[in-house]
Amino acid sequence: MTAPDAVAPPLLEARALSFYRQDEPVFGPLDFSLHEGEVALVEGDNGSGKTTLLRILAGLLHIDEGTLTWRGKPWRREEHLGDTLFLGHHLGLKADLTARENLVVAAGLYGTRDGRSVDNVLADIGLAGYEDEPTRRLSAGQKKRAALAGLLLLPATLWLLDEPYANLDRIGIDMVNRLLEQHAAEGGAALVTSHGAVSFLHGEPKRVRMHV
Amino acid sequence: MSHAPLVSACAAVLRRDLTLAWRRRGDIVMPVLYALIVITLFPFALGPEDALLQRIAGGAVLVTMLLAMLLALDAMFRSDIEDGSLEQLILSPQPLALMLGMKILAHWITTALPLIVIAPLLAGMLHLPTAVMPVLVYALLLSTPLLSLLGAVLVALTAGTRRSGMLLALMLLPLCVPVVIFAAGAVAAAQQGLPWLAPIAWLGAALVMALVLAPLACAAALRIALDA
Repeated sequence: MTAPDAVAPPLLEARALSFYRQDEPVFGPLDFSLHEGEVALVEGDNGSGKTTLLRILAGLLHIDEGTLTWRGKPWRREEHLGDTLFLGHHLGLKADLTARENLVVAAGLYGTRDGRSVDNVLADIGLAGYEDEPTRRLSAGQKKRAALAGLLLLPATLWLLDEPYANLDRIGIDMVNRLLEQHAAEGGAALVTSHGAVSFLHGEPKRVRMHV
Repeated sequence: MSHAPLVSACAAVLRRDLTLAWRRRGDIVMPVLYALIVITLFPFALGPEDALLQRIAGGAVLVTMLLAMLLALDAMFRSDIEDGSLEQLILSPQPLALMLGMKILAHWITTALPLIVIAPLLAGMLHLPTAVMPVLVYALLLSTPLLSLLGAVLVALTAGTRRSGMLLALMLLPLCVPVVIFAAGAVAAAQQGLPWLAPIAWLGAALVMALVLAPLACAAALRIALDA
């Protein structure tokens, strides 16, 4: 009847989203939408609520005001668990386990993307030779890479990445951009936080500005 | 692009926690050594009188086990909260209560099971008759998982607070009273040649109830702790 792409609702849409901590407004009202194949940069100063926004979208915090829709329907946390990956300040890696063991546990919980395996993902991310080293002994950048490997391995449509560029060298930053481009090309979407004006993303990404 | 099956998720969590405990084997030995030292103190404090030691043996071993378990309890979810793996567990497409049940099981295997293994030795040091040993072991097999489950709920409730160790002990010990009464009651009854099955059955009933309810309570408490 109609062209499917003309009527497709956005993957995620927020209207007048606000969040309060003990009656103090943290951010909002905030409006934005995110379509499949889009990467958006969340911008704002320290304390403007970027991490809080991502934690809400991940389903760790509840919404105080406003509406969230997921593919046109009201957003419900239980429904898209596993379809969203959240990478926060804490990387969720066990220091006493190796990078490989950490990924095996994550794959056991979340499942595996078609055609990917723990070993080829670790090689892709640049951790070949460090697979069996306890995460405790890796450098901060290598830990970040081990956590980013999960993005490649686990099946998810929406990535919520909090400061993914922190601790990474230039090659690592390029790699994150490549991961994001590849994910968008496969029909995924991502929200990425970064403070200040510096963005390493190629081209002109969509921007979500946090107001205080 | 399908989610992981439930069985593999349970196995992944259980295996991870057991591997982590094995990498830190020293921590497993601590409660065992603690229990050994505490039991050794009793004859020094009370005198090496066989009849007296025999009378307190069951109760002393039970209370010592309980306190030894308390030592390791507050570490149950702490590292998971600190390194963010609890967030990843909560956000995974798996029933959280069941995953936490696996964590509690792993914790019981690594802290309570070694204690149960040395319990007959400790009771023997206090001259508990050999015939009563199986009853002591049954009582421990039912009461220690009960304490792990009750403790897990309290650990989850105090998850947000710093230095929760003492608070945890003050909250858990009153809840332990019925567990200690039934477990020690069974051992005492066996020692006097009376039927001991009833208190053991009560412990079993309480354990079944805790198995069903405690993981659910843990899941709710941890969700709230992270929502703050």
